[in-house]
Amino acid sequence: MISFQQFSFQYQKLTEPTLRNINLEIQPGEKILIAGPSGSGKSTLAHCINGLIPFTYEGKIEGTMTINGEPTTGKSIFEISKTVGTILQDLDGQFIGLSVGEDVAFSFENDGIPRKQMREEVERALTTVNMLPFIDQSPHDLSGGQKQRVSLAGILSTQADILLFDEPLANLDPASGKQAMQMIDDIHKQTGKTIIIIEHRIEDVLEQPIDRIVVMSEGEIQAIGTPDEILASDVLRKHGLREPLYIEALKYAGCELSTADKLAQLNNMRLPKFEHALEAWYESAAASTEVQNREPLLDVQNLRFAYDEAHEVIRGVSFQVHEGEIVSLLGNNGAGKSTLSHLIMGIVRQTSGEIRLQGEDIRPWNIRLRGEKIGYVMQNPNQMITQHMIWDEVALGLTVRGMSKEIVDQKVEHVLRICGLYPYRNWPISALSYGQKKRVTIAAVLAMEPKLIILDEPTAGQDYKHYTEFMEFISSLSQTGLSFIFITHDMHLALEYTDRAVVLSGGEVIASDRVASVLTNAEVIERANLKETSLSMLSRMIGLPSAEGFVQHFINYEKKVKHHE
Amino acid sequence: MSKMGTLYAPGDSVFHRMDGSIKMLLFAAWTITTFLFLDLRVFIVMLLIGTILLLSAKIPFRQIRILLWVMIVFNVFNTAFIILITPTYGSELTGTNTPVLNIGYNTINLETLFYVLTLTAKYLTLLPVSLLFIFTTHPSKFASSLNRIGVPYKIAYAVNIAFRYIPDIQSEFRGITNSMQMRGIGFRKGDAPFTQRVKNVTSIAIPMLYSSLQRIEVVSNAMELRGFGKHKRRTWYAMEDLRAMDYTVGALCILVTASAIWLKIGVLSGFWYPF
Repeated sequence: MISFQQFSFQYQKLTEPTLRNINLEIQPGEKILIAGPSGSGKSTLAHCINGLIPFTYEGKIEGTMTINGEPTTGKSIFEISKTVGTILQDLDGQFIGLSVGEDVAFSFENDGIPRKQMREEVERALTTVNMLPFIDQSPHDLSGGQKQRVSLAGILSTQADILLFDEPLANLDPASGKQAMQMIDDIHKQTGKTIIIIEHRIEDVLEQPIDRIVVMSEGEIQAIGTPDEILASDVLRKHGLREPLYIEALKYAGCELSTADKLAQLNNMRLPKFEHALEAWYESAAASTEVQNREPLLDVQNLRFAYDEAHEVIRGVSFQVHEGEIVSLLGNNGAGKSTLSHLIMGIVRQTSGEIRLQGEDIRPWNIRLRGEKIGYVMQNPNQMITQHMIWDEVALGLTVRGMSKEIVDQKVEHVLRICGLYPYRNWPISALSYGQKKRVTIAAVLAMEPKLIILDEPTAGQDYKHYTEFMEFISSLSQTGLSFIFITHDMHLALEYTDRAVVLSGGEVIASDRVASVLTNAEVIERANLKETSLSMLSRMIGLPSAEGFVQHFINYEKKVKHHE
Repeated sequence: MSKMGTLYAPGDSVFHRMDGSIKMLLFAAWTITTFLFLDLRVFIVMLLIGTILLLSAKIPFRQIRILLWVMIVFNVFNTAFIILITPTYGSELTGTNTPVLNIGYNTINLETLFYVLTLTAKYLTLLPVSLLFIFTTHPSKFASSLNRIGVPYKIAYAVNIAFRYIPDIQSEFRGITNSMQMRGIGFRKGDAPFTQRVKNVTSIAIPMLYSSLQRIEVVSNAMELRGFGKHKRRTWYAMEDLRAMDYTVGALCILVTASAIWLKIGVLSGFWYPF
């Protein structure tokens, strides 16, 4: 049992406590979700549980925290790690071994277990997570989901009775995320261990049963309750967290939700109560599917590419991006999404086929020439920022082009105003938040005045509030005629903010259509490791004529609501 | 380079099966022996043995070609410099002077030419065993081998960490340079003047440093949470028990080094010059 009483924690370098008045009891065998927006203190709470606080991150503790009745103060992190096993968020970074077997063996090695016994244990642990055939593979050969399985095997082998998952869904494609939650649930059922999941993607976690949800915000616990209780209330929305889509739909349809409705899982929900309201809401949908005939900006025709003769990774890809359009590029890991974007950017050259930008074949253009028309924003802003000051970072690309100082200043000022960064223009970049840094990288690319911007996982690492702010900003840019390609695993993002989805699988385009249509197509979902949204499941369950129509109505309705807010 | 970021060439020769620590011992013994002597006869014998050993490991020639060329180019330059700068150095070792070629400011003599030949043979002698060590030791076994020959495990494990993360860092470096190039910042010849290019490359240091610090934080947390450093000793998954062959080779190494020292002191003490 884990117990916090009047617990507060303040990092040594900060002036305010990050956790305040935490009172929480987690019973043995319980499966609990700790949810909260960025900066809510949920990761800090996780660090307190696994012992990284106070052993690695020092600070001031008030109140008490006990694990199995014993206070953790005075214990070493090694003693705590016998009871609490942690799976970190960074799947790649935490993979320590050079091979799967070695990684699982890591804690046995540290315990000095003899080699023969170690091998048996490693094989047993890998069997539980179905990864035994990969025992000699290196981490570079594994997908995100597989890396997570390996980490889990490594933790399971330690016999810890509390398993702590820090954002297990980050960096996984939708289908792998679903499998991950399934696997966590299987382990919970088989072993009866206590499971603590830290996540802000509530809908995906709730696909499997959860005993209680702890909602955190601003360093305090705001609510604790069963999923049914939490979902029936407005507590998630109030604290900047996203409710499951089907719950949002019910609320938009004006349904009265109560704890007795079994809202936590769509399949068990008391549907008849809502059917009428949902049908009425669906019928209110205005049949306004605006068909715009816009000029194609980027035209990719029958593109082929192979790194070596044996394996063609892009096999005859064709698609268009129109002016002012936002297109999402979806697909499983290894489907060819990054290679395709590298081809467009000129990092690699196609073996055959054409890429046209505003009608011109850009094959002869080198990477820098393309950079004047096509911008590229990496997932992690820290990998793009090279200057100390915001102004210099945004000016960099222009100065290099040899523009005069007046013109550069003029353009930088304009871009900073658009991006809402003008008040911070003389700040050092290190003083900015993650989301603000992300904006700086967009500003730096915008300053080059491109026609098309490719964004790799634009909303990764951002909570719902920042996500919404950022995406509203991107939408407003697209209104000015700028086009975007999003490379993403995030179905919600694709659904809400992109006009069209191009779905890749095995180096081929298997679908190119409106997102609502793609995400209601079972075959496409299956082949590209995507996931059916709860909206289309809901619509099927009440027998609406068109799942796509329902999803589209939801998106249109939500846009209206957001613009009114 | 393989995906592991190392030069390991899979195979099943005696050397592939030999324990890493024994290969390190062999490498050390070989190097000591080489540096003891300045005697062409010794080097020819060692070079022959080394080449046979290397061939027996069946490393694809394609993989060692580059290193071989590097060694040859190094030797050519080294030789040229010695001959041009000190054309009569050989005389200092032998006490004789047999002029061969007048190059204006001095005369190259036979003693120096022979000295250079001996020196080249000396460097070449080191090549086969270094290649054997590098190409037949699985990266997973480096750290445990170091630990076995007495390096503390916390230091030895750093080798493992390097092997593990170098490929990640490389791919990150490529990603960063690509995104910089998209913004018009040149790294290649012809993109920008040389000084600007140097400046551009150094500007990558900031994002690289930032991400390395983050990586270190994640890795050290992950290691600590799984009990690294808990005890004074640890076991190694990738280590294997020493076999009869390992002991034999190990003993042989010590024996050969000892006899080499005896040979050096007693018989072949100086520079061997037959003429």
